[in-house]
Amino acid sequence: MPGVFLVHSVVTSQNFMNDIDEQLREIIPRLRRFAVSLTRNPSSADDLVQASLERALSSWSDKRPDGDLRAWLFSILYRQFLDAHRRSRRYARMLEFFTGRDDSQPSAERTVIAQSTLQAFDQLSTEQRALLLWVSVEGLTYKEVAEILGVPTGTVMSRLSRARQALRELSDGEITRPSLRRLK
Amino acid sequence: MISMPPSERDLHAYVDHQLSDDDRRLVETFLASNPEISAQVRAWQQDAQQLRAALGGALQRPANPELDPALIRQRLKRQSRRHLASAAMLLIAVSIGGLSGWQAREMTLVSTQAPMTDAIQAYRLIAQQGMLPADYKVSDDGDMQGWLDRYFTKANRLPDLSGAGFKPVSGRLLSTEQGPAAMVVYEDPTGHKISFYVRPPGPRNYLLPRGSRSDGDLQAEYWSGAGYNYAMVSPSDTPTGQMLKQTAQF
Repeated sequence: MPGVFLVHSVVTSQNFMNDIDEQLREIIPRLRRFAVSLTRNPSSADDLVQASLERALSSWSDKRPDGDLRAWLFSILYRQFLDAHRRSRRYARMLEFFTGRDDSQPSAERTVIAQSTLQAFDQLSTEQRALLLWVSVEGLTYKEVAEILGVPTGTVMSRLSRARQALRELSDGEITRPSLRRLK
Repeated sequence: MISMPPSERDLHAYVDHQLSDDDRRLVETFLASNPEISAQVRAWQQDAQQLRAALGGALQRPANPELDPALIRQRLKRQSRRHLASAAMLLIAVSIGGLSGWQAREMTLVSTQAPMTDAIQAYRLIAQQGMLPADYKVSDDGDMQGWLDRYFTKANRLPDLSGAGFKPVSGRLLSTEQGPAAMVVYEDPTGHKISFYVRPPGPRNYLLPRGSRSDGDLQAEYWSGAGYNYAMVSPSDTPTGQMLKQTAQF
């Protein structure tokens, strides 16, 4: 009786999707937090999360690896952010050319002494923020981070070491060095 | 098994709980007799703890129903054609101070069919949906014309709509296929909005005869002059729209 099988398979796939959605709902607060740390803006962050979830759900069947679901979603979100960031940098350069002024100069605000860990964190580069969040806050393994970034584990470790050192210096109240200036 | 003394990497791996139990014990023994390195490691641990504490609050934000997977799934099903829109959403996600307008370039990819479609799309994004922050806001002594003149020299003057109660309130720069554009939003005391949109005619120097057209719930009056194309967009079928239609000269 084909009809019975059909009903059965619809029910199974419905359950499967509910199961996926349940797993996603647990991770969404973490995605939102990661997105805020990248965009520094809660509503932009949610747009980024939404775009990432759309990407994840539409490529679920063929792209989803066996490993940690969280790491996979972090990597989708991170790439989406970098793509969009690249486009907006192009736009910023265009505008700079067009207006003859450079809005990316460090403002007084950006060179103030970091008074808290969070302020120090906010002054790190995008990749450094992502690294520290993944490793120190989310507890991803070096291997998982290496897969997200597509670099060897050793590279992750040396970049992490630099990120930590930068955070340390900023938290210690040293004046932001130009190389650590917030990237636009 | 790691070798002693531990390398800096080993120390980081210790901080991150990524050593085996044996290695962990080795490092702990080493740290006990090396106060200087021990202090360094403790500082890293404290930074990590503080970061976890500082970012902990970000997990407690109230849920955003727009992000529910079931809803997104439905939306994906319904709107397989909505690629452009979600690209625009994503581009808006990157807010870099006042300079976040690259998505207008994407908006205008579909803009060749009808004149000044980009002006209408900009109105939807900025004036109706409030998706992009203004680059410039008129304060009490603000000078919108001066702001616009910085970018579009010798362009037509901003129309004076004060007779109808409309005043320029904010300006926004956009990037389009035809070149840099600006949109100035006018508002009246009741919150009705009209936009003035200006951009170059594009590489093909496509100048427009004066015209008017509707697009959904919006209408656009458009024309060319002084080397630029212009549009004024407002909701159609409103007194505001009627007023614009009857205003012969801007």
